[in-house]
Amino acid sequence: MKTRRDFLRSTVLGASASWTVPMFIERTFGQLHQGARDLAVQPVTGKDDTILVVLQLAGGNDGLNTLVPFSDDAYHKARPRLAKKEKEIIKLSDHLGLNAALPFLGSLFKEGDLGVVQGVGYPNPNRSHFVSTSIWETADPGNRSATGWLGRYFDNACPGADPTVGISFNKTQPESFGALKNPGVCLNSPELYRWIHQGGNKDQAEDFFASLNRPDSGTDASTADDDGPTDGGSIAMPAGGKVGGISGEGNLDFLKRVALDAQVSSKTILELAAKHKTTVSYDGTPLARNLNLVARMIAGGMPTRVYYVSHGGFDTHNQQLNSHDRLLGQLDSGLKSFFADLKQQGNDKRVVLMTFSEFGRRVAENASAGTDHGKGSCLFLAGHGIKGGIYGRQPSLSDLSEGDLKHNVDFRSVYGNILGDWLKAPSIKPILGADYPSLGLVG
Amino acid sequence: MLPQADNTWTIFEAAHLINRAGFGGSPAAIKSLHALGRTQAVESLIAPGEPLDAFPRPAWSEREQALATFKARRDEFRAGKKAMRELTPEEAEKKKREFVKRNQQEARQQGLEAQAWWFGRMLASEAPLREKMTLFWHDHFATSIQKVKQPVLLMMQNDLFRRNALGSFKELTQAILFDPAMLLYLDAQNSKKGRPNENFAREVMELFTLGEGNYTEQDVREAARAFTGYQLDLTEGRVVHRKYQWDAGDKTIFGKTGPFDGKGAIELIFGKKEAAAFMAKKLWEFFVYEKPSAAALAALTESFQKGGFQVAPLLREIFHSKEFYSEATIRSQIKSPVQYLITLLKQLEIRKPPLGFPITGQSQLGQVLFMPPNVAGWDWGQAWINTNTLLTRYNLAGFLTKGSGSETQLTGGEKMKVPRMAATKNAGRGWQGPDYEQIAPRPLRENPGELVDSLIYRFFQSPLPSEVRASFTEYATAKKGAILTDSETAELCHLILSTPYYQLC
Repeated sequence: MKTRRDFLRSTVLGASASWTVPMFIERTFGQLHQGARDLAVQPVTGKDDTILVVLQLAGGNDGLNTLVPFSDDAYHKARPRLAKKEKEIIKLSDHLGLNAALPFLGSLFKEGDLGVVQGVGYPNPNRSHFVSTSIWETADPGNRSATGWLGRYFDNACPGADPTVGISFNKTQPESFGALKNPGVCLNSPELYRWIHQGGNKDQAEDFFASLNRPDSGTDASTADDDGPTDGGSIAMPAGGKVGGISGEGNLDFLKRVALDAQVSSKTILELAAKHKTTVSYDGTPLARNLNLVARMIAGGMPTRVYYVSHGGFDTHNQQLNSHDRLLGQLDSGLKSFFADLKQQGNDKRVVLMTFSEFGRRVAENASAGTDHGKGSCLFLAGHGIKGGIYGRQPSLSDLSEGDLKHNVDFRSVYGNILGDWLKAPSIKPILGADYPSLGLVG
Repeated sequence: MLPQADNTWTIFEAAHLINRAGFGGSPAAIKSLHALGRTQAVESLIAPGEPLDAFPRPAWSEREQALATFKARRDEFRAGKKAMRELTPEEAEKKKREFVKRNQQEARQQGLEAQAWWFGRMLASEAPLREKMTLFWHDHFATSIQKVKQPVLLMMQNDLFRRNALGSFKELTQAILFDPAMLLYLDAQNSKKGRPNENFAREVMELFTLGEGNYTEQDVREAARAFTGYQLDLTEGRVVHRKYQWDAGDKTIFGKTGPFDGKGAIELIFGKKEAAAFMAKKLWEFFVYEKPSAAALAALTESFQKGGFQVAPLLREIFHSKEFYSEATIRSQIKSPVQYLITLLKQLEIRKPPLGFPITGQSQLGQVLFMPPNVAGWDWGQAWINTNTLLTRYNLAGFLTKGSGSETQLTGGEKMKVPRMAATKNAGRGWQGPDYEQIAPRPLRENPGELVDSLIYRFFQSPLPSEVRASFTEYATAKKGAILTDSETAELCHLILSTPYYQLC
């Protein structure tokens, strides 16, 4: 695998005699000032370490129709049109069941590899997509932090400066990646994550990307909802995102550093991911395509510790029954392929996947057979590293806060548990600002 | 008063002025600005001759038509409501959904038209500072179409910003209180006597006028009572203050007590010296660089306060200041996506960009007009750049310079949005690239060194490090047969634009 050191040695320090356009670009990328160069040759870490995949359900996932409290009359009363009947669900206990669109997660639960945390949230919840997403991503309920919880993990717990320590499949950097030193890389469309010189020969990388399953319009989850210019949360959020630079670094030095990160990561990502071929088939949804890419990168031996993918369209204010089930079905199918792929590679024990959503939805359905923005919700943790089971108390459906579930698990305690026990961060406090009692999710 | 620049006035300074006070320009445009001399050049920007209504707006956004539409929609809604009594609940629900869906689709189209219209205006306007200040206010009083949902209200707000672009900050803040889009955006609509919503009061102080730490929670709570009763009258397209929903009792704000209304509360805010300091700093950071020296800030604050919060004299002082033309300032700012896109088009002498380019470019680079991410506006500076947006900038430049066949470079095969057209993958098809005869006339292409210098001037208006220049020359020399062809020139341009240096202005 190519490290930054190799990269710099082979390109900047030993210029090639054959004069090609990509070489040219590498050379201009390589003309760095000393500080950036020092940073650039630090070794990469974490090649065989544990991996976390964060999966955002953007728009506010309806927790009550995901993890269904089927035995509670209040649930059926509050949702005459939307409630799932006992026979429609996958039972996890005498009280709770999964939406029938989640058969794979159901089987994971049986195998003891699915953790379900119920009643997750934070104090004084905010019902704005943007503010609440920001709170989840920065792990700061005051919404004042300029860095994200994962970015602070990269800065505090991941030595070296490899930009591929975190990879997000988004147009703009998710706020959770905001960091003072190393914000990881973003990659929206893999076809574009490189410097495109048309007219040149198609290289291996281009072939690889051409072979990827392209989504066709019919299955694009982020636009499938007819509910207007989607309020799909951060997935549709045209934000620049909060990013920190190195303090005292001028704009030009900053740009050179990002340019090198882009170039190094683009090369590494394409090279490594191209190696892996899988017989597992994935759906054509953007989520499945991105999970496929994550699997390829893991197979290729990327040093990445955190991957971030999004699944949008959960802002189900209208006629949600079919659309919500369909979105969950896409999630389940994507995860099924992903975990099968990991198993085939032999990497299934290294990977834990966590879902989150900015909020749950109102307990009572609204007049349009949908649900409005709510507060507490549930999230999933999947993988061999997870001690399967149901965590947190089942939130009451009668003791509500403005029509919403009250949370009883602080989302930061889930983060803390994963950071400490799964990603092995030596100390949680610099990342989350405080220590949180372990929920015992890992093991 | 800031220390003023001396009498030298170079073409590089003229270029710097138009880069910062506008969206850059072609070599010819820079030359004519330079010919005016510094004073006249600055005045041409501050008091442009171009009329405010120089660009016809989409018909739906004209006030008269907008009001007629509001009225028609309301009537249809009422009639529909009546008719619904005859229908079964399912049929009624279906009708309602159709009504909502139709209006949403129309709004979506209008949103795209608004984005394309303003982008086009920024590109073509001969009053670039006015457009840039309009963008500044849009970011400052951030309001998003995603929540407001009615593009016409955003266009009305855009007009307000343009009319007050270089006017009084205080008057504009007073006007924002009566702006329908802002009212909806900050939920001020529901703020009534006895149930005040603190959102607007807080944002006015924290984000619009004073900055955090310059007011107390008590001030916010009391001001929120003053801001009650402001409501949207959609048939008139304006905000009215309904006295019966206003809390008329005494409030104590910043230690002063009285039965203040919203206007009165804003008046009190502008009585604090922090208001002048807050905006003077923000304007400096927008036009010059981040973190001004204490001395510069003190001088600006004093001028701004004495001048009654008028923006034009403050900008005049900045554009005449020594620091504005210093080495620390020139080519030190990271271009925002809009700045990047407009400047690139101007430098490539492209007056009519490819169909899908304006909106796709905005969204790929992370700054969609009328859609700031939240009430704090966009994060500027380094926040624009990450590995993905940087590569996207390089690839957008490749699409523009090289012409047709490369539209996947724009979107990776995603569909592009074009107003009044179905989303398409082919909105870039047929793009032939810029006119290279104009950008790099044939005789110039015979000498690689001169060609590179000419292009460097066009794109940077300042020298690049010698090793970077040498790389370009080497490339041009290697490619040159008898003469560089159009496509080889395009490749060279693309390379020059694919550098960290080009992200600065």
